[in-house]
Amino acid sequence: MKLALIGFVCRRVGGSLRQSFWTHVLTAGTVSMTLFVFGGFMLLETNLQKLLKSWGAQIQITAYLNSGLTAAEVSDTVKRVQSLPEVERVRHTSQEQAWRDFQTALGSQSTLLEGLPREVLPASIEISLRPEHRDAPAIDHVAQRLKQETQISSVEYPQEWIERLGLLVLVVEWVKWLFGGVLFLATFFIVGSTVKLAILARREEVEIMQLVGASEELIQAPFVIEGMIQGLAGAAIATALLAVAYVLLQREIAPVAGLLSPVGDLEFLQVYNVGMLLAIGLFLGATGSLISLRRFIRTWHVSSARA
Amino acid sequence: MIQLFHVSKTYPPGRRALTDINLEISSGELVLIVGASGAGKSTLLKLLFREEELSEGQIHVEGKNIARLNRRGVARLRRSIGLVFQECKLLAGLTALQNVSLAAEVVGVSRRESRIKAYQLLRELGLKDRHDAKPLTLSAGEQQRVAIARALINDPLLVLADEPTGNLDAEAAEETMRVLLRMRERGATVMIATHDLAIVDRCEARVISLQGGVLAEDAPLGLARGHFR
Repeated sequence: MKLALIGFVCRRVGGSLRQSFWTHVLTAGTVSMTLFVFGGFMLLETNLQKLLKSWGAQIQITAYLNSGLTAAEVSDTVKRVQSLPEVERVRHTSQEQAWRDFQTALGSQSTLLEGLPREVLPASIEISLRPEHRDAPAIDHVAQRLKQETQISSVEYPQEWIERLGLLVLVVEWVKWLFGGVLFLATFFIVGSTVKLAILARREEVEIMQLVGASEELIQAPFVIEGMIQGLAGAAIATALLAVAYVLLQREIAPVAGLLSPVGDLEFLQVYNVGMLLAIGLFLGATGSLISLRRFIRTWHVSSARA
Repeated sequence: MIQLFHVSKTYPPGRRALTDINLEISSGELVLIVGASGAGKSTLLKLLFREEELSEGQIHVEGKNIARLNRRGVARLRRSIGLVFQECKLLAGLTALQNVSLAAEVVGVSRRESRIKAYQLLRELGLKDRHDAKPLTLSAGEQQRVAIARALINDPLLVLADEPTGNLDAEAAEETMRVLLRMRERGATVMIATHDLAIVDRCEARVISLQGGVLAEDAPLGLARGHFR
């Protein structure tokens, strides 16, 4: 596009933003409400994932060893387990150590153990996984792998609550897209309607531009740019509102509710999340305008031609 | 310049506006299209700048079959045509100067250059002191001259004027016709649709007469007395 045409488009966009300022503000406000709700789910999802990771760091798989293994067999087993790609750290607990740990744990009630044979507690290895493998499927996969070891009698891990938390994150993600989808659709029509109103308000101008040979792109560009500005402004407002909500939640509500204790500080959206919100705003504004324009200007062109 | 081959136009549900029109118009010709209301004059002009789609036949402008033009092609075609309408079609919110320069700006001429050109045209058309006026403060004749300036700003090869004097008093109509005829001096082909026979009487031009959508007469030179020359 020629520089002169870019200047022309910019002047028209500027003129329209000044002329219909409050209409644009209202549309940007609607977009911001949609993206605020969507961003809220993103925030929830981010913090649930953080929670899951934080708890995941404490998750250990315990593999109990068969009794009567030689030191070499135990050492071989530990080495094999350590060599698994998912495994970060392995700690071997001998029967003797297990007995002492149990005694320490019982404290003053350790006398209860008197008379029991020391072999009652099996030797074990405690396995911590690498951060990227601390989800339910990976943990389950490692557990199944350990069960194939002939020196390991049984494997224990907190399967149920890992799955539940994982499921919760999945549900939040689905709800986010479901709500988001409905809200995006609504926003889409609202932006489209605003553009339709803008076209109606400038119908004469558009008609004259068509008659003097303005290209379709030139006629449509200002409307699309206006839609993009509305979408982008809406996304920026939504991000600002989310930041305010985050600060309020962090400083005032969360400590009172005791929500933060498991994970420490709440986390705000990552840069890519904010980028995604801005991109969605831009996309909603642009496509809302474009579809409305294509449908409206073409319908109008055809109907005026038949009049 | 312009060739029409068996051109017909039918509006739904079956009203025929033009029937089997064959014409050839050369560059630089002045053509008056005359006929009563509903004769098909406006439809003929609209077909030439693709405001309407023809039902049958072919129209060639500068050797190109305009029915085959895509949207971009139609935009390009219209850039080579200056259009003048009975109702002027000026934007009320813009000044006379802005209305004229808009037509140049949309085809990529810089704002500064468009304004200079628009000002020169308005001055040529006797509107030097009215360039800052909004259309509603201009007389009907002045408005039509602004519309003519807009039609001229992109140096069109073809000027189509549809009843340009229809809303004007005799004096303004005469002035408008004088300006339109001067367009030929710029080398443009000029086609004017009118039902005002007085214009035909006083104008040296080829006269094409339409009756009920049919070409009734094609007189190479009208009954000109050269009043406007």
